[in-house]
Amino acid sequence: MNGWRSRRSLHRACMVLIVLLYIVSVPWYRDDGAPLRLWFGLPDWVAVALLCYVGVAIVNAVAWSVTEISDVPDVPDGSNGPKASR
Amino acid sequence: MNFGVWGVVALVVYLVALLGVAEIARRAKRDTSPSDHFLAGRSLGTFVLFLTLYATAYSGNSLLGYPGRAYRDGYSFIMATGFMMSIIVMFHVIVPRLRPLAVHHAFVTPGDYLRLRFSGPWAKPLRLAVAILMSLALANFLLAQLKAMGDVASVVTDGRISYPLAVIGLAGVILFYETRGGMRAVAWTDAAQGIAMLLGLAALFGWLMSEAGGLTEITRAVAVRRPSAVSVPTAMVCINWVSTIVLMGLASVLYPQAIQRIFAAKSGRALKRSFAGMTFMPLATTLVVTLIGVAAIARFEITNAADTDEIVPMLLRDWGAAGGFSTWAALLVFLGALSAIMSTADSCLLSLGSLLSRDLLGREGGDEKATRLGKLLAGGILVATIPFALWRELTLWRLIELKMELLIQCVPAFLIALHWSRLRAGPVFAGIVVGTIFSAGLSLAGVTRLGGVHIGVVGCGLNALIAVIGSLRQSGDEAPIDEAGASRSRGPFGHSILSTTSGT
Repeated sequence: MNGWRSRRSLHRACMVLIVLLYIVSVPWYRDDGAPLRLWFGLPDWVAVALLCYVGVAIVNAVAWSVTEISDVPDVPDGSNGPKASR
Repeated sequence: MNFGVWGVVALVVYLVALLGVAEIARRAKRDTSPSDHFLAGRSLGTFVLFLTLYATAYSGNSLLGYPGRAYRDGYSFIMATGFMMSIIVMFHVIVPRLRPLAVHHAFVTPGDYLRLRFSGPWAKPLRLAVAILMSLALANFLLAQLKAMGDVASVVTDGRISYPLAVIGLAGVILFYETRGGMRAVAWTDAAQGIAMLLGLAALFGWLMSEAGGLTEITRAVAVRRPSAVSVPTAMVCINWVSTIVLMGLASVLYPQAIQRIFAAKSGRALKRSFAGMTFMPLATTLVVTLIGVAAIARFEITNAADTDEIVPMLLRDWGAAGGFSTWAALLVFLGALSAIMSTADSCLLSLGSLLSRDLLGREGGDEKATRLGKLLAGGILVATIPFALWRELTLWRLIELKMELLIQCVPAFLIALHWSRLRAGPVFAGIVVGTIFSAGLSLAGVTRLGGVHIGVVGCGLNALIAVIGSLRQSGDEAPIDEAGASRSRGPFGHSILSTTSGT
């Protein structure tokens, strides 16, 4: 049960982090008249977006690794807890 | 021999190989049931599943449409890497809840879920409405692939294979191997096509970088040629950026062919591993094609929007003309691009067949007749789509947007329905009708955005609002789900999911 709860908490944390990374990836906070600055050969706002998307990929992979996808739906048994394997 | 002739030779060899795979897949068939034909007997393991998901997700749109859009927009199209990743994020909402039901009730099409989930007088109209929207979106997707196949084959062979001949001939080959081998042929060819696409893109990108002297030089050259392509986007572009991520993320998880791969997986574990791998693929694919499109700004001067879809074939022709290793490498990329396009087209065709026979015409049987009807309908749609593919003025990107604006209207019927047991068929149907009329009507009138937000996203918001408020207000005229023979089971984290006690 504790393992299942910690996986669920980790999954939720991953989802929140992904949303934050998406918010930062869009350069809404930048002045559209700013001079061109290059990071790694890219305009700096593009490099920031790209770093965010690399972060999303890593965090999303973690989220998938803690997600349980059952092949057998539970039968109604009146219990509130997760399946034994979860 | 020049590059155009080599292109013809490579194309012929590739097509013969595809037909060989189709024959092997036909011999591997266990029976003639729709489940075996359309879902490969639910036997796809992690490796093939990952590659078929990859090859299906990255299509002619990705390889031709995205560089074209990046050429027109510049670096702000980096948003494409984000929205392709958002699809794999959004699958968290649907996969863990849909997969157990799909296995337990032997789903073949998305409509099978709706049949299980919704009851009452509006359940059938709802299924039909969703089937029509999904079929239209798939037909549109198929059309985009046919256009892309024609572009790649005609440009790379230097016109030796004309655009109409390429569209008709390659469509015929797809129809043949899909009809013979079903999902097995599609998945196996997808696996090979996925590998070819990855290798091809890496090679093209490497050549482009070495030619231009690296990313810094490319960015500087683009800044000189078109400063707006490197400057910080305006507020309106930022709004459109967010809207595109929402549109693509929500709509793409409802691709019928993607949903059917959830059903076709060998196990939940195989699915989970495939999605964990898929989340990195936008970095290896979408990012690369975006940079290719941006790099082309410094290389080509293209004024007609529709012609920007030919950037990758034009680069390949230039590269291949250099002779020696370049010719062989360009041929590999050519086959990789063609593979990506054909793999998406074949998946669309397979899904269309099952969707039309099962969800639209109500042929729910598990017999050979249902499979044959699906094949016939898919063939009919393919033939009907070809004349539209010969009309070349529509850009691939606009086709993508049109398709997504239709698909996103199905969000309440799946994403909300999987998570909220009080959702009813009547309000969901009303929401779909209103959302679709709103989006399609404004789109046809030439209004594609409201304040930078896609018209389909606004329509989906309206649609979801009607579905939720209507369901909250509705009482008594539909049997509650649990009383209609449904029971509850738990999802991946102990949440409840709906499942009936009888299989389909």
